[in-house]
Amino acid sequence: MTTSNTSNNSNAQFNFFKMCIGRPVVVKLNNGVEYRGILEVVDGNMNIVMEQTEEYLNGQLKTKYGDCFLRGNNVLYISAQPRK
Amino acid sequence: MLFFSFYKSLVGKEITVELKNDLSITGLLQSVDQFLNIKLKDIKVNEEDKYPYMISVKNCFIRGSVVRYVHLPAEDVDVETLQDHSRLEAREQKKQNKQHQEQKSSTATTATTSTTV
Amino acid sequence: MDKREEGSVEEPLDLIRLSLDERIFVKMRQDRELRGKLHAYDQHLNMILSDVEETIKVVEKDEETDEEIIRNIKRNIKMLFVRGDGVILISPPLRTS
Repeated sequence: MTTSNTSNNSNAQFNFFKMCIGRPVVVKLNNGVEYRGILEVVDGNMNIVMEQTEEYLNGQLKTKYGDCFLRGNNVLYISAQPRK
Repeated sequence: MLFFSFYKSLVGKEITVELKNDLSITGLLQSVDQFLNIKLKDIKVNEEDKYPYMISVKNCFIRGSVVRYVHLPAEDVDVETLQDHSRLEAREQKKQNKQHQEQKSSTATTATTSTTV
Repeated sequence: MDKREEGSVEEPLDLIRLSLDERIFVKMRQDRELRGKLHAYDQHLNMILSDVEETIKVVEKDEETDEEIIRNIKRNIKMLFVRGDGVILISPPLRTS
């Protein structure tokens, strides 16, 4: 399969995001901090809104946020979690 | 564009620009461009003893990307107008994004889904 | 005006729009945190906040004991423009949905 077509790629990306919405995810940022919560919405810049978010540093819970917005440029990965 | 217009309305006012390297410069806003590059005149560095080579500098050009904060004169900021403009611009941006998306999907007729659950 | 556009979060930036005129929490690079009332933003997350409290976390090392001391430096700023490229996270007050 050729993946050079950008619209093909962004479509796959979009489908992955759509699949994850409303589900628990882990988002890791470039600075090593991890956010666990329910994915609400994502855009093409990887800006993310999550709810019931927990902030983890080195595996330790640091803070909780109700809603939280993460700026896309800091995102290393978004990982879908199995439903609890 | 919102912040570009906003800064244009502040020309001639005193602002303090705090850079990412912690240098703070106070001066009169002379001009600004679309990248939020800033020209200041009659400047003063806030911790002069720490940056003695800055004493003789009277005017400066600051590249927008090195700015961390700008301290603004609160009395010259109309927050109501700013909020209205922010909402307007958000709506404009959304419209543009949608058009962009539609263009993209109309050209990508062969795009197939490749994700598996 | 489109009602859906007003109240719901269709895209991430909508959350920021709904926080206009509210106090928000902003986590910045270099261990800086801001709390202030949001008055303006754009797609880069450049923002104008008022009545801002900035907290900077500084880690100092005690030379004798090698202990790390975390110190919070706070300052207040009446009206502040924040450049978006330094922003990591924004959290609005709890939304009543």
